[in-house]
Amino acid sequence: MIVAERKPFDEIRNMVKGYKKVLTVGCGTCVAVCLAGGSKEVETLNAELNLAFKKDGIEFGAHTLERQCDMEFLSELDAKADNYDCFLSMACGAGIQFLAERFPEKPVLPAVNTSFIGVNLDVGWYEEKCRACGQCVLGMTGGVCPVTMCAKSLFNGPCGGTNKTSCEIHKDQPCAWLKIYERLAGQGRLEQIMAISPPNDWSNQKPRKVIQPGYEERLKAMHP
Amino acid sequence: MITENCSNMVDISISKDVLVIGAGSFGLQAAGQIAAQGYKVSVIGAKTACARQSGCTSEMLEKGGVNIMQDVSIEALAGVVGDFRATLTKNNEKVESIFGAVVVAPQYSYSPLNAKYGLTLNDKVMTLSQFEAIISSDSEKMKAIQNGGEGGAGANVAFLMGFAQEGEPLLTGRVLKGALAVQNMKGCKAYIYAGNVKVGANGLERLFTQGRHAGVVCFKPSETPKVQQGTDLLKITIKDPVVRSDVELTPDFIVVEEGLVVDKQNLDLCAKLRVDTDLDGFLPSNNVHRFPAKSNRDGIFVVNSSLDATNAALRVKELIGDGTKKVVADRAKVDENLCVICLTCYRSCPHGAIFWQNGAAAISPAACQGCGICASECPMDAIQLGEFTDESLRANIKDAVVSAQATQKDAKSEPTIVAFCCKNSALEAFESAKLFGHEMPVGFKIVKVPCAGKVDVEFIMKAFVDGADGVMVAACHEGNCKAERGNTYAKWRVNEIQKRLELMGFGKNKLTFTTIASNMAKEFACKVNDFAKSLEG
Repeated sequence: MIVAERKPFDEIRNMVKGYKKVLTVGCGTCVAVCLAGGSKEVETLNAELNLAFKKDGIEFGAHTLERQCDMEFLSELDAKADNYDCFLSMACGAGIQFLAERFPEKPVLPAVNTSFIGVNLDVGWYEEKCRACGQCVLGMTGGVCPVTMCAKSLFNGPCGGTNKTSCEIHKDQPCAWLKIYERLAGQGRLEQIMAISPPNDWSNQKPRKVIQPGYEERLKAMHP
Repeated sequence: MITENCSNMVDISISKDVLVIGAGSFGLQAAGQIAAQGYKVSVIGAKTACARQSGCTSEMLEKGGVNIMQDVSIEALAGVVGDFRATLTKNNEKVESIFGAVVVAPQYSYSPLNAKYGLTLNDKVMTLSQFEAIISSDSEKMKAIQNGGEGGAGANVAFLMGFAQEGEPLLTGRVLKGALAVQNMKGCKAYIYAGNVKVGANGLERLFTQGRHAGVVCFKPSETPKVQQGTDLLKITIKDPVVRSDVELTPDFIVVEEGLVVDKQNLDLCAKLRVDTDLDGFLPSNNVHRFPAKSNRDGIFVVNSSLDATNAALRVKELIGDGTKKVVADRAKVDENLCVICLTCYRSCPHGAIFWQNGAAAISPAACQGCGICASECPMDAIQLGEFTDESLRANIKDAVVSAQATQKDAKSEPTIVAFCCKNSALEAFESAKLFGHEMPVGFKIVKVPCAGKVDVEFIMKAFVDGADGVMVAACHEGNCKAERGNTYAKWRVNEIQKRLELMGFGKNKLTFTTIASNMAKEFACKVNDFAKSLEG
């Protein structure tokens, strides 16, 4: 899931200052699950904003979509958009941009910082697991991601900074390659650690697209 | 029984089978009493007591009323009250069985505490467990006690307890029984040196009196006795505070207390059952709102004594009855269209009442206690309580502010204060404060909530938006929440909003969190007045 955190209130306040009618748009998918931008957070943020801008008479509306990363759901806002002079999106960076594309004439402001792709350890507690590098090596690394977990994102073994099971950046940060070693050893396939992963194509760092298998034909037909 | 003031009742069916985990004396007593009520009982766990002596009749044991399953353990427990689905394992074979209720009779292990008295265990110095094993046998060691005294007479046995640990009633009972057994042996004498004595259990007073009448000597010194352990000599010295001199005893044997140990197995079981322990890891968690033998989960009972066993049997009967039960259908409902199955509710529910099915969270009407923690934590506002919908609470907040402001028009200007009052404590305290005529500010109004855990961040902010000068969240005392953690959640939320208020430049003092008991009417009024004063200043 994509994990986001709400921006500091001051930052949000400064962004919406000067507008008269603001629609706070929540997203009912990842950011709702990570308790950053679902309808509850929308209502809470609006209450805070109402309090802060009581004297300025700014009006704050609320609308939480199923997903801001699907235009079918964004279209729910078409009828409302004219009533507002600005959108405050609580979706991840993808959702915010898609909302901005849908309404190119309107300012769209981010109310959250998109943090990472991660897992839920407990209510409100998340940990990054994936950097979306586009060249997954988890099969060779015992399901431990060296791109995310290694401070240098090393593909082929630890660096000289591995220090008594920890990474040199911090004693609480385990060395990713130690974890990989332990996992592979535990599964009795340690010999695979010797396989060399070719360097990732980091030059491919423009916005990436994913077309799920089986959908290529459909896309060609629908979007020639 | 407490009746619910709700119209929306539904019948649910409840399995009439009961699982007892822990085949010690108390577990088997519970099993026997539950089976006597006509329910089928399966007992798992290490068998450490005789079933017949614990009240299971031959008929129960032979005809399957009580089925003692040796070497079976529980791997997982899904489902909710009335429909618990237990995965039981034996030699890697798994079977899933359905039970209406589960009774846990925890089996803890003991740790010797001789080191805390500076003693080494040997033939003369033994732990309570070792002593119990000896006197229930016919061994050489038993003869040593019987004839171990001077000139072949009975031995003097000293028991040490309550100096090395806080202790618990079970330990007191074991020591009293042991001392009485010694005293009843011909020529033997028993001495008890007790520090902290826990006597809050059935029959302990009687046992103590019995011992005293038989001649057991009890000392309760204020300091830990000095114990000397020589090759042939044991010597216990205490200071007598009355005669102000040392009192010495040279017993033939010393029996040292033991501590109960919560091991990984105990904790694993609690995690599997999702039942809360107390701070030391013992079951159940303390909660004054709960009837004896109940745990934080409806349908899971905890038995630590004979009295608990009887109570559990009564509760099981009350729960299962004839296999159908009337429950409130809309105590808490999930809007399946809004739910994103983020699992926040499942993880936050203190009663284990939430599960998920068909792509949405679901709340068991039988297990739900209506505290509303889930509803307040839900990021999509997908959960609504039948009696306390978000809509009605928002309206109540508005009404509270408006009526508080209205009362002030003809009085001097005082701050408008809205207090969210938990119906289990603060609400009662408020009502009695009114009844007793304790003065409170005219601009003070309350909003009733089922538990402080139902006070949303949004509600507090809304009260300020609506025009409140101050907001108070009044919860039960720490460790006293009917919903285990509702007050804790409320406190966390208040702390968070205070931070946000400060960042917004409003100052955190406009919002306060307080804990109160239902009988603290005067204190409640004081707290409100102090808060009002702090807002004026």
